[in-house]
Amino acid sequence: MLNIFSEAWQALLNFFGPLALVLVVGLVVALTYVQINALFLVWLERKVAGHIQLRIGPKEVGPFGVLQTIVDGVKLLSKELITPRPASWLLFVLSPILVFMPVLVPFVVLPFGENLQIRDLNVGLMLIFAFAGLNVLAILMGGWASNNKYALLGAVRSVAQNVAYEIPLLLSAMSVVIMANSLSLRAIVEAQQGLWFVFVQPVAAVLYLVGATAETNRAPFDIPEAESELVAGFHTEYSGMRFGLFFLAEYTNMFIVASVATTLFFGGWRGPIADGPWWFLAKVYLLIFGVIWVRWTFPRLRFDQLMNLAWKYLIPIALVNLLATALILKLVR
Amino acid sequence: MPPHLLSDYLFVLVFLLVGLVFAIAPVLLAAIITPRGVGLKRLTTYESGMAPIGQAWIQFGVSYYLFALIFLAFDVDVLYLFPVLVAYGSFPWRDLVGIALFVGILSLAIVYAWCKGVFEW
Repeated sequence: MLNIFSEAWQALLNFFGPLALVLVVGLVVALTYVQINALFLVWLERKVAGHIQLRIGPKEVGPFGVLQTIVDGVKLLSKELITPRPASWLLFVLSPILVFMPVLVPFVVLPFGENLQIRDLNVGLMLIFAFAGLNVLAILMGGWASNNKYALLGAVRSVAQNVAYEIPLLLSAMSVVIMANSLSLRAIVEAQQGLWFVFVQPVAAVLYLVGATAETNRAPFDIPEAESELVAGFHTEYSGMRFGLFFLAEYTNMFIVASVATTLFFGGWRGPIADGPWWFLAKVYLLIFGVIWVRWTFPRLRFDQLMNLAWKYLIPIALVNLLATALILKLVR
Repeated sequence: MPPHLLSDYLFVLVFLLVGLVFAIAPVLLAAIITPRGVGLKRLTTYESGMAPIGQAWIQFGVSYYLFALIFLAFDVDVLYLFPVLVAYGSFPWRDLVGIALFVGILSLAIVYAWCKGVFEW
């Protein structure tokens, strides 16, 4: 048995060379990291929420309750998968799979450190935004296929919101691209030698963070799943592991948008001393902590406020910011 | 296509396929090991405890379709900016004028929607 494996491995190595090694190691690390990140973030979210509301949060399972999420995961795995009879079966089943499928792809290009990047694609940033777009499709599929009024309303709202906030997100990323003259994430980090883009582009950084919070459907932009009015929004009908997949994808997406923010605006793996992946991870989790903090502090926006904020303020500001950047670049260079 | 681009896309493809496998696996496992409940009521859609009234697949006014239209006019065109921005700075002033014209015409979509009262609720 082992022989077959080693022979297949040799064939792979001969065919692709060291690339295969990078591919396999990268895959294993990315897969492990997605799981650990989700376990940690769910725990962090509950702990932070607890302390903000003057509770202590999970504390029974493991030290400080860190193992709570694992137990919850096992529970989710053992719950019945219910497909409602009126639902459209195929789309209903496919939706959680489609929502999780693309979350691994951004790990190909995320630059954790100077040499800790699986593959430096020259279209890295585009790749991440392109695969993030699949999320909306999956939510609409799941919400519509459920044949549930709450789910449908949640899905429709989600599409309107994600579509509106994707534009300021793209435009603020563009004002970084115009300065770095590259879509490769490594080149963008290297362009921030000395000065992080957050100090050059503070407006774009704020726009990006607002847009990213809305893209991940988190409060104050969590109108697609607004618990107090829509039960659970688009995933009302999902139970057990299918719901778990939505959850896993959501927390991985949080990590991805925070990583992109770190890369675009906060200097990636660079720090005052000792550049390395520790800086990258520290910045990412600091940003995520901020997002969690915002969620448990601010109330939900009303829908008209939500749409008007994007179309009347964020998008015009982002457009002006992009043009101003282009003009200043001409004057300076 | 140069070979290194081919292996770039091989990475993306493999990650996507593995993502697919790891999305299917837990659902499949759950489908095998989880208990099956009895009774038809559990297969109805959830409506906060009441018996569902009709279906969700009915005609209703989605007031967001106008936003979808502006988005189509906007976001798809914004994508064309990416290649321009990557090459930005290789011409003296021409690229700035180009971008200003392009973005100016694009923002007319918002101005138009604003004047038509799409943003009034």
